[in-house]
Amino acid sequence: MSTIYIPTPLRRLTIGQSKVTLEGESVGAILTALDAAYPGIGERLFDEQGQVKPFINVFVNEDDMRTLQGLDTPVHPSDRISIVPAMAGGGQ
Amino acid sequence: MNLTRYQRQMIFSGLGEAGQRRLLASSVAIIGCGATGTVLANHLARAGVGRLRLVDRDYIELNNLQRQLLYDEADLAAGLPKAVAAARRLRAINSEIAIEEVVADFNPGNALDLLGGVDLALDGTDNFETRYLLNDACLRLGLPWVYTGVVASYGMTATLIPEGAAARVGREATGCLQCLLGDRPASGGPTCDTAGVLGPVVSVLASISAGEAIKLLTGGGEINRGLIHVDLWDNSFETFQLAGRRPDCPACVRGEERFLNAALGSRSAVLCGRNAVQVSAPDVRIDLAVVGERLAALGQVSRNPHLLRAQIDAYEITLFPDGRAIIKGVDDPDLARSLYARYVGS
Repeated sequence: MSTIYIPTPLRRLTIGQSKVTLEGESVGAILTALDAAYPGIGERLFDEQGQVKPFINVFVNEDDMRTLQGLDTPVHPSDRISIVPAMAGGGQ
Repeated sequence: MNLTRYQRQMIFSGLGEAGQRRLLASSVAIIGCGATGTVLANHLARAGVGRLRLVDRDYIELNNLQRQLLYDEADLAAGLPKAVAAARRLRAINSEIAIEEVVADFNPGNALDLLGGVDLALDGTDNFETRYLLNDACLRLGLPWVYTGVVASYGMTATLIPEGAAARVGREATGCLQCLLGDRPASGGPTCDTAGVLGPVVSVLASISAGEAIKLLTGGGEINRGLIHVDLWDNSFETFQLAGRRPDCPACVRGEERFLNAALGSRSAVLCGRNAVQVSAPDVRIDLAVVGERLAALGQVSRNPHLLRAQIDAYEITLFPDGRAIIKGVDDPDLARSLYARYVGS
């Protein structure tokens, strides 16, 4: 089971949980499992082509998945997946 | 120049007197003087950055005082624009540096001018449209800049060094904002107006960014080459490694300057979550006294040297000398433009 960090804006969909654990062999499989477990997350993460939206960064441990193999990046049970959407606010 | 006031940072060996002199010789533009911008400006003015240019389009509201550290109730009562109040406060803190305030919307028509002659730009904006424009402008001018975004209890900062700035600042180039966030500004995400924001989170993230600025200006230390992400609600502090330059990036690789080239004209922009619309009119100068006299027959009008405020029916119109207005009580841009035409002129 890998740990997935859920950003605050999506926690409404994970019943308030900031971390969830799920099984999957790749980043894509884990994000799909996440959507299955918590319906509605998928449409916040993926565009119509099934790609992760550009302003959402997905990291495997400390590395941007785009520097690895994208959604095909293999995931080990000890890995931590972080979903980090870009933030607009400057507090104006 | 007497450097006594900087003694505590000069005895820090990483900075020293040489670093202090570099700070005093440098110039920084801070775009946006809200929560992030006031923390950035506060640190840099106290640290002795020699020239600060503060750019902000807005005026102070009561709900700003919770987190915008340079403002107080007297500024609110005086109806001051943020850039004016921030500059006044910072001059009281450090009278030995030059502070220039600019009450204006940072837009494609003035972006290059507002960043002219500075060594570094800092992002205190509250929206991605403006940040993408800042990204284009910094790429054009070869300026390093620091992105800071904060919402609710969390935020992020990234230090961005265009190829054209790398040699001058002695650091390796990074990807740009579009490499990090994609080709179009994100929309519909949470903002401080919809999801709120805690003051301490802004201070943490903006202080990290101010530290980045000091390192970039003095040439010391290790800069942040990743994405620093902090959430104070669950005590998470992480630095993610970034992918770097995207080989097909329209901004930093192809140089398209889409946001710098965006059409400028009579424009209106909905100010998210505020039930307000900004209407801009390029190339006009407004005599606030004349407009004030005219509007006094229609509603309640108050005025200071920086802006005029008229309460007419359910609308509050704040008009600046450059012809720009922020109209509260409306979220429809067409209605805002027609109100502008009726009360200010077309």
